Amino acid sequence: MSTATMKRPRSAAPGAAGSGKLSFPGVLRGEFIKFFSLPSTMILILATVVVMVAFAALGAWLIGWSMGMAAESPEMAASMGDMGEVTAALPTSGLAFAQLIIGALAVMVMSSEFATGAARSTFVAVPTRQPVFWAKTLMIGIVSAVVATVSILLSFAVAKPIAGAYDLELVFSSEALQRAMWVGVLYVVMVSLIGMALGALLRNSAGGIVVLAALFFVLPLAMGGFSALADWLAKAMRFLPDQAGAALMQLQLAPGGLEQWQNGLVVAAWIVIPLVAAAVVLQRRDI
Amino acid sequence: MITAEALTKNYGTKRAVDGVSFTVQPGKVTGFLGPNGAGKSTTMRMVVGLDRPSFGNVTVNGRRYAEHAAPLREVGALLEAKSVHKSRSARTHLRALAATHSIPNTRVDEVIELTGLGAVASKKVGGFSLGMGQRLGIAVALLGDPQTLILDEPVNGLDPEGVLWVRNLARHQASQGKTVFISSHLMSEMALTADHLIVIGRGRIIADAPIEQIIGGSNVPTCRVKTDSAEDLMNALAAENVHLTRVDGQTIQVAGLDGRAIAARALDRRILLYELTPVKQSLEEAYMALTQDEVEYHSHLGNELAATTTGKQG
Repeated sequence: MSTATMKRPRSAAPGAAGSGKLSFPGVLRGEFIKFFSLPSTMILILATVVVMVAFAALGAWLIGWSMGMAAESPEMAASMGDMGEVTAALPTSGLAFAQLIIGALAVMVMSSEFATGAARSTFVAVPTRQPVFWAKTLMIGIVSAVVATVSILLSFAVAKPIAGAYDLELVFSSEALQRAMWVGVLYVVMVSLIGMALGALLRNSAGGIVVLAALFFVLPLAMGGFSALADWLAKAMRFLPDQAGAALMQLQLAPGGLEQWQNGLVVAAWIVIPLVAAAVVLQRRDI
Repeated sequence: MITAEALTKNYGTKRAVDGVSFTVQPGKVTGFLGPNGAGKSTTMRMVVGLDRPSFGNVTVNGRRYAEHAAPLREVGALLEAKSVHKSRSARTHLRALAATHSIPNTRVDEVIELTGLGAVASKKVGGFSLGMGQRLGIAVALLGDPQTLILDEPVNGLDPEGVLWVRNLARHQASQGKTVFISSHLMSEMALTADHLIVIGRGRIIADAPIEQIIGGSNVPTCRVKTDSAEDLMNALAAENVHLTRVDGQTIQVAGLDGRAIAARALDRRILLYELTPVKQSLEEAYMALTQDEVEYHSHLGNELAATTTGKQG
């Protein structure tokens, strides 16, 4: 960079910088520009879709294969029960892993601001802070809903012919599939928003992702393992976000589970409480 | 105009900024000078609301920064170079910030051009040198064509052309009636750039005055005298409140007497003087003199200063 390229600072033409004020639509637009300008964003979104579709295809093939086995062995057929609901769950079968990928992306939307120092630029431009938080919330909500919907639809499109080859019918309009699909989308949105809140609370990508994975993988496993020892543990487990979410996706209530409206409330609480806590902490803590 | 009143910031038990009050006037460049860890950056962060004051308050043009409808048009701030996601390009970073205030993309191109970032604007910021990072930070500060510029150690990492450019930029903005507030630990740079100086040490304001007044602030007149009869002259001048330093065989530095008094005494003793030069205090010396008055800093400041002149920002 030589002096030749250094222009003498002259007074800018009147209105060169415009006269716009700080506005929420502007902040939201800024967040979308930042989000899609990172290569990691597209990679993680693509990975989410691929994992979802791959699980659906693999699941369809596995069900078909075991059906074939069952046709030859009556004992196995007896133990398998109704395949209708299992088949209907195919398009959402990859959620358990896809949720972590998109959840990690959501953590990083917040934590990377602090890890890279970009937060200084962001919050000098928007010193009221809250518009940035809610713009990110809205953006993450929209992106995760769209990614979940698209990957579930793609999973359906891929799983249907594979299942069809084994004479298994996957009906798009069936109640079980419709419920699994829309609750599945809501579930992904919940995971992403919890992830974003963790990113804002911990300000650290690795920490946020670890806590998110612990909440959705380790905690249910650990509590499930020990639930035989203590009854209260089995009861408490129903309030974990993944348990409430999974229960909400089913048509039939599990024995000993919460009512569906209660599961809905648990999911809502897992969305609202972390977000509000993160918004309050963001407002109070120094950047 | 920036107005701070009893501004205080505690980090845990450490008091980083200790009840500072000052005003940064428009139409001139105000330097904010102090050693590393003196509280410069913390003060500036409080001005733009990144840090919440523990006590006291600070306003920009009569309001807290966050209360302005268009903060980026009010204040442009360079706080730390590379306040950017490393995988993002300079242009995208600027566009995302511009979007928040509906600043057109033409202005983004303008500040890229202005800061000489044209050739690298599409490259990832992670690969930028410290100097290019500083230029990007300055581009961000200029984005909203703000009334007030706050630059924390802007010349850090810049090449000599860049240093000159920042100096011209600051002077130009001030000549347009804007408020320019620049921090530095480089006293020589401040001497060339600033009209007014606020000196901070250990979180407290040590001096707040026009730069000439700080440089000429010491009331002790000092002269450098050359003579072949150095010893005779020293005997002739020796008195209470007069401080004599033998520089070399022929040269003596005299503090506490002005040129006329020295010449008069030399004439009485018929001592030939062939050089008599008033010594103007440099900003460094003025700074030392200022801070030495603060007894509680006395023992440490020498070391801190030595570290500052070669070290980096804190």
